[in-house]
Amino acid sequence: METTTQPDIAQEDHHDGHDDHGHDNQHFLTKYVFSSDHKVIGIQYGVTSLVFLLVGFLLIMAMRWQIAKPGEPLPIMGAVLEHVYAHNNAGEPVFKDGVMSSDAYNQFGAMHGTIMVFLAVVPLGFAAFGNYVVPLQIGAPDMCFPRVNMASFWSFFLGCVVMTVSFFIPGGAAQAGWTSYSPLASVIPTDGQSFWLIGMILLITSSLLGAVNFIATIIQLRAPGMTWFRMPFFVWAQFVTAFLLLLAFPPLEAAGIMQLMDRVADTSFFLPSGVFDTGSTPMAVSGGGSPLLWQHLFWFLGHPEVYVLILPAIGMVAEILCNNARRPLWGYKVMVAALFVLGFLSFIVWAHHMYLTGMSAKVATFFQTTTMIISIPSVILLTCLFMTLWKGSIRFNPASMFALAFLPMFGIGGLTGLPLGFSFTDLHLHDSYYVIAHFHYVVAPGTIFAMFAGIYFWFPKMTGRKMNEYWGKVHFWGSLIFMNIIFMPMFIQGFAGLSRRMSDGGATYSLVQNPDVTSGALSELIIRLNEYITLGAFGMLLIQVVFIVNFFHSIRNGEKVENDNPVEATTLDWQTPTPPPHGNFTKEPEVHGEPYAYSVPGADKDYIPQTEPNRPKTA
Amino acid sequence: MEIPYNSTARPDTGLYNGKVGIWLFLASEVMLFGALFSAYVLLRVGAEPGNWSMGLMSKEVGAFNTLILIASSATIVLAWVSLKLKDWNGYRKWKIATVVFASMFLIVKWGYEWPAKFTHYDVTFVDDEAAETVFANVLGQDSYNKECREKHREIWNARYDIDGKVWDSGSVGTKDKPLDGHIVGYYTENEDGEREHHKVGKAFGIYFWSHAFAWRHDKRNDGRTTGAKRDTFREKGVVAVEIEPAHGTWDKHTDKHASVTDRRYAKASDGKASDAGGHGHTITIETSKISRVSSYEPAHSTFFAVYYTLTGLHALHVFGGILVMIYHLMPISRRLYESDPDRFTNRIEITGLFWHFVDLVWIFLFPILYLF
Repeated sequence: METTTQPDIAQEDHHDGHDDHGHDNQHFLTKYVFSSDHKVIGIQYGVTSLVFLLVGFLLIMAMRWQIAKPGEPLPIMGAVLEHVYAHNNAGEPVFKDGVMSSDAYNQFGAMHGTIMVFLAVVPLGFAAFGNYVVPLQIGAPDMCFPRVNMASFWSFFLGCVVMTVSFFIPGGAAQAGWTSYSPLASVIPTDGQSFWLIGMILLITSSLLGAVNFIATIIQLRAPGMTWFRMPFFVWAQFVTAFLLLLAFPPLEAAGIMQLMDRVADTSFFLPSGVFDTGSTPMAVSGGGSPLLWQHLFWFLGHPEVYVLILPAIGMVAEILCNNARRPLWGYKVMVAALFVLGFLSFIVWAHHMYLTGMSAKVATFFQTTTMIISIPSVILLTCLFMTLWKGSIRFNPASMFALAFLPMFGIGGLTGLPLGFSFTDLHLHDSYYVIAHFHYVVAPGTIFAMFAGIYFWFPKMTGRKMNEYWGKVHFWGSLIFMNIIFMPMFIQGFAGLSRRMSDGGATYSLVQNPDVTSGALSELIIRLNEYITLGAFGMLLIQVVFIVNFFHSIRNGEKVENDNPVEATTLDWQTPTPPPHGNFTKEPEVHGEPYAYSVPGADKDYIPQTEPNRPKTA
Repeated sequence: MEIPYNSTARPDTGLYNGKVGIWLFLASEVMLFGALFSAYVLLRVGAEPGNWSMGLMSKEVGAFNTLILIASSATIVLAWVSLKLKDWNGYRKWKIATVVFASMFLIVKWGYEWPAKFTHYDVTFVDDEAAETVFANVLGQDSYNKECREKHREIWNARYDIDGKVWDSGSVGTKDKPLDGHIVGYYTENEDGEREHHKVGKAFGIYFWSHAFAWRHDKRNDGRTTGAKRDTFREKGVVAVEIEPAHGTWDKHTDKHASVTDRRYAKASDGKASDAGGHGHTITIETSKISRVSSYEPAHSTFFAVYYTLTGLHALHVFGGILVMIYHLMPISRRLYESDPDRFTNRIEITGLFWHFVDLVWIFLFPILYLF
């Protein structure tokens, strides 16, 4: 319905923009809140998702305390949470005497995953940077459908509100994990799960509107001369990501609708016959549903979602590394091809999350094979990025350091995924801390490092001021060290068999509590590691304070940029006024060459902007 | 600032923006409905014998809806063609026809098909003996004899097992082969053991009583009790329900199968079957004999869960389309047409694309939900 009225939306926006151009008399609300300008929307997405990045992090801090010191009251926050936080269905606080109960642990765990994936990292990488940078890089005045873009943000925002409110309703937030497996999620008696589902439907609507907009913008609004292979790699990455969102999210929406039906209309989509409730009463539902159906639909989104998380990050790292190594992107076309292969294959690997569901060896073989094949384009991307650095004279600044650290960290995350891609090794590692370590290496020191790099890199364009470089480097080194202190020991814990979903950090299964057990119990070292990890997490929190202060301080007090292109970049996003006005370019840009003309032999500067008409023959 | 290619095509892609947008949107929609169709396949393949109750659907009503939706797809093209020929009045005529057809579709769906199902009940029994007694009464036999069994089989096959494979396999007991009909009254019992009869309201020939919903509200009022969600039936103190079977019953006097409107029962003894004063031939069943009462609501079975979800989502698309089309008939659209006719014509074209998609989804839904 929204889409059918798009031309109308675009045209009316055009009138607004035209009238206001040069007058700058827009009302505060239409300029900064209900704006249809892609840059404002990008920043709105960015601020919202950074806030939720912090919220998700604080949730896990509380959980880490419980894992390290099971049963001890949370310092400081415990007393507050006891009174502020939702009570359970029986009316008792889930933080009784400041101690985190298993209920609270489950809620925080489910919401940490949900918030980090759907409310923080995807909106930051795809929506925030995509909105701000993509139209600039292709030389467009705005997104194709500016008002749909605004609808996308507000739908996202509404989803955030619903998710946040669910913490404070009776019974608290969803507690069936971020994967919301049925039957548990279908029958769980608190309302948090229904809120989760409604929130997800809003978020999916938002990502649908965003994805349509991105693809249409890239197809339709490229500036004159901006041919497909003159597009910066970041644009390609966003293009493929948008297709993943467009096609992979709807099945989860369908699944969400069905689970919501299970919860509010008592259907049995995901409830097999003969389900028993707590106790021995059979549930009075019709039965005949399939819990596996949920898992298939969830992971059909879930796996492409992994690439939704990582592809914008790789795109950003490519931009930042080329710029700071002063080298063209090595194997640009191969990387674009690898993106498409990756995008396609990501749709046929989903069941490698489900080896333990009792699938047949033949089916498992298919998914193992595709999973191994998908590592090839990933390795191509990483290799090309490493090769880009070859013979570069690398500038070391916070942006490039985060981008450089992305490469080995993402590498560790990717390689440790291989044992999970084989069903025979996955049987042991499934649902252990090894899995947690693996995907956090991909997303935390991987994607989030790339996001930090992006923030340091594009901050001058967005605000006209630079972030403090010294404190940026402190932030980088602290983050790098603490990230590894947190996640490296989890590999060891996972090998030892520590399950990922225990609110006491595995103490129940420790040798101390089970001295007579001959094998399988967790040694003291494994349990002790919990404390070191938690210490690392507190260090991580402290070092982020540096970033937060630097970020807000620099908006008003940072060093001013000397010109519109302080990083000496070739791409169009740096050929605009700073910060770019509504409409972006002072005159329509015309593109004359490739996106990465750095260190071109025979040129008088070490970079040639894409808008430069007089280019040496080799460029 | 101007967004280019809003009403004219970009030369190298040959498309205007809205067209790219709508096709991408439709691709996403294909995945949405695709996932639901996949769920349909998986649930149907895994359904237990006799549990895929699609024989209850009215093919005629479905076919009628299919026809008017296809007609609306044709009229929307005619509306677009009229605009291309700069004929506003022609456009208006065909667009109104489209809105009328689409509204008829929704009236049939939301005004007749769904409510009729919400008030139509299935009763299954605690044991085979209870079921056989009731069916013998309903079908006018002295006992659950061969004749009665054949009649029961005929009714049941038509409704719950159109392939006719389950009855002979013996995998479903008589107690799970439901009696279906409208609940026209019920009995409650006070502390002294006295029964009180309650009548159920009726309008347009449909008994508007749906305890299913009343029970669900109870569940909420009880402070979200878990467990046997639909068992508040007994908590409410209902000791017996009075049912008017929806299918034709056996007339012993003429020894032939009577129509739905002309029901007769062998016995009118208390607690069994009654003639209820000459109007409405009903049967009373003790709740102690009933294992489950459910209307044809989503919770009835996986088939109805799929049916309501798919047709509901589809109907929401139809509803959205109607709103957009009404907007396109309003004066604000007329003004746009006069200032920029190409742009408005494009808008009608992409509305049409969306509408054809909605139509196409129904063309898949009709056979899988009504026919096969």
